[in-house]
Amino acid sequence: MRGIQLSLNQTQKLRLQRALDKLDSLSSKRNSNASVTVADTIPVNHEDGVLKGHGTTELGGQVVATLCGVVERVNKLVYVRSLRSRYKPETGDIIVGRVVEVAQKRWRIDINANQDAVLMLSSMNMPDRIQRRRTAIDELNMRNIFEENDVICAEVRNLQHDGTLQLQARSEKYGKLDRGQLLKVPCYLVKRRKQHFHQLDQYGVNLVLGCNGYIWVGELNEAKDIMMVDQPINAQPNSTNEGQANTPAEIRQNICRIANSIRVLATLGFNITMEVIEEIFNLSRSLDFVVHDMLGAEFCVLVAEREAERRSSSTKRKG
Amino acid sequence: MVGLSIGEKLFIQSGIAQDLRCDGRRRLTYRPLYVETGVIPQANGSARVRMGETDVIATVKAELGKPSPSQPDKGKVFIHVDCSSTAAPMFEGRGGEEFSSELSVALQRCLLGSNSGAGAGIDRASLCIAEGKICWDLYVDGLVVGSDGNVLDALGAAIKAALSNTGLPRVHVTVAAPDGEQPEVDVSDEEFLQFDTSGIPVIVTLTKVGRHYIVDATTEEESQMSSAISISINKKGHICGLTKRGGTGLDPSVILDMISVAKYVGEQFMNRLDSEIAAAEASEAE
Repeated sequence: MRGIQLSLNQTQKLRLQRALDKLDSLSSKRNSNASVTVADTIPVNHEDGVLKGHGTTELGGQVVATLCGVVERVNKLVYVRSLRSRYKPETGDIIVGRVVEVAQKRWRIDINANQDAVLMLSSMNMPDRIQRRRTAIDELNMRNIFEENDVICAEVRNLQHDGTLQLQARSEKYGKLDRGQLLKVPCYLVKRRKQHFHQLDQYGVNLVLGCNGYIWVGELNEAKDIMMVDQPINAQPNSTNEGQANTPAEIRQNICRIANSIRVLATLGFNITMEVIEEIFNLSRSLDFVVHDMLGAEFCVLVAEREAERRSSSTKRKG
Repeated sequence: MVGLSIGEKLFIQSGIAQDLRCDGRRRLTYRPLYVETGVIPQANGSARVRMGETDVIATVKAELGKPSPSQPDKGKVFIHVDCSSTAAPMFEGRGGEEFSSELSVALQRCLLGSNSGAGAGIDRASLCIAEGKICWDLYVDGLVVGSDGNVLDALGAAIKAALSNTGLPRVHVTVAAPDGEQPEVDVSDEEFLQFDTSGIPVIVTLTKVGRHYIVDATTEEESQMSSAISISINKKGHICGLTKRGGTGLDPSVILDMISVAKYVGEQFMNRLDSEIAAAEASEAE
């Protein structure tokens, strides 16, 4: 595990080390001999014709790994899957991204991957909710839907042959994310699950866990403004009511608390799921931690210990 | 610099107005501070300071030199800052040069006082060995490894930590020479004198967003600022230097108010920094 940069005193260092060792011992060490580093030879049966997949190369008659990771075998295909890498998109992933450019009939979105993704105008619902052909007027009014630097959530539609990623945002739950903060975590900490949208009504918080490592924590909009046709095209942002723009203090506290829970998980390198976030949230509230102190050394150590306890109790229940 | 959407900007501004910033801090709270000393063994003194994602390294190298004719009883201190290209995307290639020179000038103003040497934070008289003949030249270098706002404060803290880590070899003048000639010196390898850093000021940057001031702004918060003032304050509460950034003008009463806030914040930060430096030196000694 990479060195965690926190100023820990001696007791805290010991406690953290113990918690991390406990987690290490609990993690299933299946096929530990399947992990390879660069230039390791992969044991392969040369009589069966073997297909050399990603992360391998042929060197002097041997199959040699070019990545650090775990060897996977599927029938005749042998490839190396790296554990930490840039985001690798798959169809159906929920993504949170930032609009970089408004181009002809499409938006370019930055999703923290090798390339920017593309959201076509035709993959986006029109404000008037009518299914129709996109006209030239629609193209000119693209900025009314999304502008540069807007944060949006969408779904991966497909990966084209040249590597470009196409997104689609045709459902109600996708679209612009307003009033909140965007967090960036390593993308391998967010696993693919059934639910990536979490609307926490009791806290008034809208949480979107993007598979690409961007996580949105924001205010829950109860009344979503659907009919935007009547709004003037040159709507100035300052003209929106000042009172409406300010988030209530209670909800803001919850947003910051959840954001800090996610930051602590990212620092410690634990998987980010809704259950863990809620547990940390409740832990911080029950121990009366001020929101800012959640990023300090003491709370990190507590989280590590709590996670070790939780995992050991869940393995005891299973086994 | 990554842009921010209108909703995010509103969130940041209203957060500052409501005294609850994005990471839960209050307006006058610093991020967790992490100090390491002795990171560069070849230098006479070095330190690394981390505040959130902002990561800076400061080193002090000492060489024997001749004092300038206008100030024969004082040593010379040169401060230079370099922004690594990996610190932020905008520092790629030569993009960081403007920011580096801005930081160098601000540090010189805050720590070295005016051209005549009056009001300096660093006591240069202690660097003199033989008046008019030999003095210590200190080359203080700063390297910005990670930039997430408030780089100037971090550099000020790192320089203070590096100077407290600096050991100057003891110098004996062996042969006293007549005027105009350089005396011979014997530079000891064993004995080291610790540089006295109790008088060195700490830099506090107050960023004005809307009608409120915040301390230790992140890059997102800095993008919303109208102006920022960096004040260097020493232990006695005296101001050693003042720098203003940002395009918006400030009313003089606002500046005086910011100075008094900075004094209050600076005192607490100085105490915290001193204890962190002591802890870092203790762990380095182990």
